[in-house]
Amino acid sequence: MDRKYIVVSIAILLVFSVGLVGFFLVSDGLPDGLDKTLEEHGTGEGTEPVWTAPLDYGSNYLSALVMGIVGFFITLLAVYGIVKLRKSVKDA
Amino acid sequence: MHVADGVMAPEVWITAWVIALVGLALMFWKLDKRLDERTMPMMAILAAGIFVAQMLNFPVGGGTTGHLIGAALATILLGPYAAMLIITAILVIQCLVFGDGGITALGLNILNMAIIAPLVTYGVMTLIGERRSKAGTPVAAWASVFIAATVCAAQLALSYSISGGVYGITGALAFPAMMGYHAVIAVGEAIVTTGIVLFLAKVSPEMLRLNGKPAGA
Repeated sequence: MDRKYIVVSIAILLVFSVGLVGFFLVSDGLPDGLDKTLEEHGTGEGTEPVWTAPLDYGSNYLSALVMGIVGFFITLLAVYGIVKLRKSVKDA
Repeated sequence: MHVADGVMAPEVWITAWVIALVGLALMFWKLDKRLDERTMPMMAILAAGIFVAQMLNFPVGGGTTGHLIGAALATILLGPYAAMLIITAILVIQCLVFGDGGITALGLNILNMAIIAPLVTYGVMTLIGERRSKAGTPVAAWASVFIAATVCAAQLALSYSISGGVYGITGALAFPAMMGYHAVIAVGEAIVTTGIVLFLAKVSPEMLRLNGKPAGA
């Protein structure tokens, strides 16, 4: 793999690890705009999800950092695999 | 803006699924023109970077937070079809692996964040034109979030109307709430997107031409 991609990936994860500190300091537990709108009007309360995911984003800095790194690599491999497949289908 | 299960009426999320799948089919058909040994790894790394960026909510006041969608950034760097793929992959992984967003609502989330947001970005950048693309970046990024949120508000209102109040929120409440919060959240998207584009313009200007045209074109 080209060295610059490794450098960029490490840089992104370093920025993420720093940004996560700020997240837990000021944003953890607060709803986003859609969730806030739904909360204010009681919509969707008590509804169970149809699909139970195997993981979550973590409840503290360390678990969120690990899950972020896991998600980073799952996404990287998934997208690369999809575009590689698409290109091989196109070239066939 | 990840919609969970049980929020929208079945008629709304089923229709969204149909539109999303048609949109994704078109995206796959159009995507091949962009795929080469240079763009493919950058698509993957950009997708992974946007994934972790979406985990970092920022406060916008009133006890509310927002997070980057990244559709505008992906569109400006790689074009609308690559952006659709990137954001769709992120949403699917978030839903299936991390439980962020409902699986029945995944079609809605794909429609709003992976199809509408990139198309709005592309439309705004096209209207603004190549010569003013740097100035257009924050406008396009802001619009991508605001329009997607407004469409989501319309989906909530339609759900309420169709279901007689079982799902969704009345439009009189949904529109001002969603548009109000996301008008501010969209400013965060604009700042982050513009910051990254300006950074890349300084350190790696070739990144701004990955889709074969100047950024956003």
